[in-house]
Amino acid sequence: MTSTHSAGSAHILRLLWMLISAVLALMTIFPLVWMLVIAFKPAPEVFAPNFLPVSPTLGNFLYVLTEVPFLRYLANSFFMSATVTIVALFFHSMAGYALARLHFPGRDFIFLAMFSTFLVSLPVIIVPLFILVKALGLINTYAGLIVPSIFNAFGIFLLRQYYLSLPRELEEAAIMDGAGRWRIYWSIVLPLSRPILAALAILFFLANWNAFLWPLTVASDTNLWVVQVAIVNFKSQYAGAWNYVMAASTIVALPMLVLFVIFQRQITESIKTSGLK
Amino acid sequence: MGRSDMTYPSTTLASTTAKDRPVISRRNRRDWLAGYLFVLPDALGLLVFVGLPMLLALGIGFFEVDGFGSYKFVAFKNYARMWHDPLFWSALRVTVLYAVMLVPALYVSGLGLALLVQRGGRFATVIRAMFFAPQMVSLVVVALVWQILLVEKVGAIGRLAAAIGWGPVSFLGDPNLALITLVAVSVWFMMGFYMLIFLGGLQDIPGEYYEAAKIDGAGPVTSFWYITLPLLRPTSFFVLLVSIVMAAAGGQVFDLIYVMTNGGPVNATAALIVYIYKQAFQLGAFGYASAMASLLVVMLMLVTLLLFALTRGGRFDHD
Amino acid sequence: MTDRQTSPAKSGLTRRRVLQGGAALAGGIAGLPFINRIARAQGAALKFWQFYAPGGDVKPQVKWFEDMVAGWNASHDVKVELEYVTNSEYMNGSKLSTAFASGEGPDIFIISPGDFLRYYNGGVLADLTPYIDDVAKADFPESVIANRMVDGKIYGVPMEVEPMAFYYSVKAFEEAGLNENDVPKTWDELLEVAKKLTTPNRYGVLFETTPGYYQNFTWYPFLWQGGGEFQGKDGKSAFDSPATVQALKLWQDAIKSGAAPRQVLSGGFDIVANLGAGYCAMQNVGVWGISAMDNNAKNMPYGIFKLPTPANGKYVTVGGGWAFVANAKGKNPEAAARFCAWALASKDQDSIQRVVDWCTVAKSDMPPRNSALAAGGAAFTNGKMGVFSKEVHPGTRAEPRVPPEVYKIISDAIQAAQLGGADPQQTATAASQQLDAFLASYSGAPIL
Repeated sequence: MTSTHSAGSAHILRLLWMLISAVLALMTIFPLVWMLVIAFKPAPEVFAPNFLPVSPTLGNFLYVLTEVPFLRYLANSFFMSATVTIVALFFHSMAGYALARLHFPGRDFIFLAMFSTFLVSLPVIIVPLFILVKALGLINTYAGLIVPSIFNAFGIFLLRQYYLSLPRELEEAAIMDGAGRWRIYWSIVLPLSRPILAALAILFFLANWNAFLWPLTVASDTNLWVVQVAIVNFKSQYAGAWNYVMAASTIVALPMLVLFVIFQRQITESIKTSGLK
Repeated sequence: MGRSDMTYPSTTLASTTAKDRPVISRRNRRDWLAGYLFVLPDALGLLVFVGLPMLLALGIGFFEVDGFGSYKFVAFKNYARMWHDPLFWSALRVTVLYAVMLVPALYVSGLGLALLVQRGGRFATVIRAMFFAPQMVSLVVVALVWQILLVEKVGAIGRLAAAIGWGPVSFLGDPNLALITLVAVSVWFMMGFYMLIFLGGLQDIPGEYYEAAKIDGAGPVTSFWYITLPLLRPTSFFVLLVSIVMAAAGGQVFDLIYVMTNGGPVNATAALIVYIYKQAFQLGAFGYASAMASLLVVMLMLVTLLLFALTRGGRFDHD
Repeated sequence: MTDRQTSPAKSGLTRRRVLQGGAALAGGIAGLPFINRIARAQGAALKFWQFYAPGGDVKPQVKWFEDMVAGWNASHDVKVELEYVTNSEYMNGSKLSTAFASGEGPDIFIISPGDFLRYYNGGVLADLTPYIDDVAKADFPESVIANRMVDGKIYGVPMEVEPMAFYYSVKAFEEAGLNENDVPKTWDELLEVAKKLTTPNRYGVLFETTPGYYQNFTWYPFLWQGGGEFQGKDGKSAFDSPATVQALKLWQDAIKSGAAPRQVLSGGFDIVANLGAGYCAMQNVGVWGISAMDNNAKNMPYGIFKLPTPANGKYVTVGGGWAFVANAKGKNPEAAARFCAWALASKDQDSIQRVVDWCTVAKSDMPPRNSALAAGGAAFTNGKMGVFSKEVHPGTRAEPRVPPEVYKIISDAIQAAQLGGADPQQTATAASQQLDAFLASYSGAPIL
């Protein structure tokens, strides 16, 4: 892909490229490494200039895990994010498919109306939304955490784009066979959507895992807390104890980082090949 | 780029011309019904959980609201107040500045990283993962980590600054540095995502183009300007649209500012979305906040509709 | 995978709600309060919101709240239930506002004087006077109860009095060749000592830098010491005064001289994160700092001195503190009001002891009741607390209660001078004009 003139200079270029990439990448993860390092430092070393802990300890993690039910909060976050992701992808792919492939009066208007909600972010509508959710009786419930987070024009938009690009022939054959739209969707379109659904699943899961403002507002019951709310609360309780706060932060970040390391190839590939662009 | 429909299947947005329509007209009715049923769950959900709150916010903008259930109709008073509110203009300025710095920075860093890691191989895979890693950590945690890194004198970066003779410097406490620091942290956080998007775009550019250019004696720089950049146009469009909307009203941006500086120092990082939030929740001026929110939504809607029109219904593959 | 809990049932429900919402819209915003009332009746127990969350390093504080609620529930039919709101969110966030804006406010909650007028003017504070015995009423010193009263009625029962002072690190003093006799008594000495204590890794003195109610609170004594006020007797702004200018200038000079940081760790109220971590050598903090240091920085020797005064000024400090209040628009305002009175303002020994426990066991605070001060005895007069009760506390003036608009004007002025480097005189003049514009149209309860 790059043009080089001789094998020798290609080799040097490659080394240079590796070096630059490595340095930039290390700089990028430096803050995360720093978090990890402090999480293993005993309290007096937190602001000490030494990079690695002199006397590393697991005490911070043990303390955090025994003091605060982080596992419960992790479970809540996982449940909320997974449910939103699955339901949202299902709804969005249905809507995206219809908007891309089916013909019905008002379709363009519906798409435009949906697309325009893309611009409305939560802080702008949080009070009316809260009033509505309360009217539905969903305050302090899992449904209250989950349902309002499902609907999102961005996902519909991307899926519509994807379906516009799918070859029609497969469907046409099914139509000739007299298959209904639902069957076409369920047994042909949905399986074909796997790459983009995988990519969007990751984005949706991440976005919901990281959501803070809505879970905070809708759930007062500590049993419904998600990790992001718990970590902010933890920070304000242990403001001075950075070693604990960083240990807690690590516990919150770890599941995502581990997932990413395991599925890294799939994640990047699916985002790349999904036509998500 | 007339042939693009054939060349790049994944960005092709088949147009709905007459010849594509189903042949059997009896199907039309059934398609109507199917279409409505398929769209129903999302349409209803968006209507209830986004549309209705948006309309309510628009309505509340015409009232004076005390935050305790009293509503007094004041017509356009809240809108008039904006005109005379220096902090509103300052917030607008911060928003524009933030977007003006962030959008190009994300574009350049996303594309730059994508070019850097576009070759395959185990090494590139690891590097990619590292660039994407910040995205996997929640903003709350991100803000905490950066706060201790950046704090004057004792933070790691603060120490570094002092070591090279630039210190003591307060990245988040100096009104002249706070916004640019926020932009830097935002770029750090979001660039991995845009890198992946650009990678997708780069992959769609056929290798033969580069081969041909190479035969013609073009160097990498020439290839980049005359092949890569023009053929990346659909991707670029998408990246710009998403990053502009995100910079002006994105939830992530709000979270980031909220946890890192809370709009300070001296309102230097109080972007419109933060100012709206503060007016509503810290000062109880829900009516005023709603009026500003409505204006923001309308402005963004105009921008989007414009982009929408320019791209002919969200189609990014034509220039 | 799938639509388990989705389509049919939900869309039926939502459709109905959409109609309801549509009706509300059609009827204009007037429909809002109607929606507000729908979900009101569920859950019989009174909700008590506060920010002392379970777990964490403040166990005695949580236990105090839990014991109190258990005590009430054991002897009363209307039960009370604690709900925790994250501290940072409680004070500056959206949680409380969102709840009240939608008619879903807690039945009992705690507020600081800074919030009082917002809630009082919003009509959500219940009158507690009928449930407080006259003997108990007289037990609260005027300076403590005044900013919780309107027209002779009590709307909040204070839990604590928290005066501000300075804490210093003994080790930092020794390193700079200073000792306890060198603690600054004037503003000039403060800046001078702060400079001596500043090193490449440490700041000499720390004032709060984060904008918010708390920053304003900590700044007021510096305004008052030179005789400054933000509102004159005539009801107009008195902010454009030499006292304001010198107070703004003091904080500005501290930063300009390099002796004070522009950014604090965690928050200026947090002594462990700043003084305790060695980030600064002197810190402007309240009495709660004693228990914070005891709990989390046991081995660090520190001292306390009262706020230094400007030339020609007189000593005064500010006393903050939170109060229990009952929601007048809640499920059962009467029971909620009774609870507040029972908990902290009854003439029963239990109630007095509860105040003592809060101020000595759970926290380190000055008690808001004379009887509690007497009952606490040595706990209030020995050691570090003794410094507060003997030296710091006697000059305490209650934290002002201001409407949010006034808070914002003062906050912007402090920020502009402290961190923006704006000219203190111009800042004071501009803020004063804004204050006048606002005060001319203000019609709520008196600002104090």
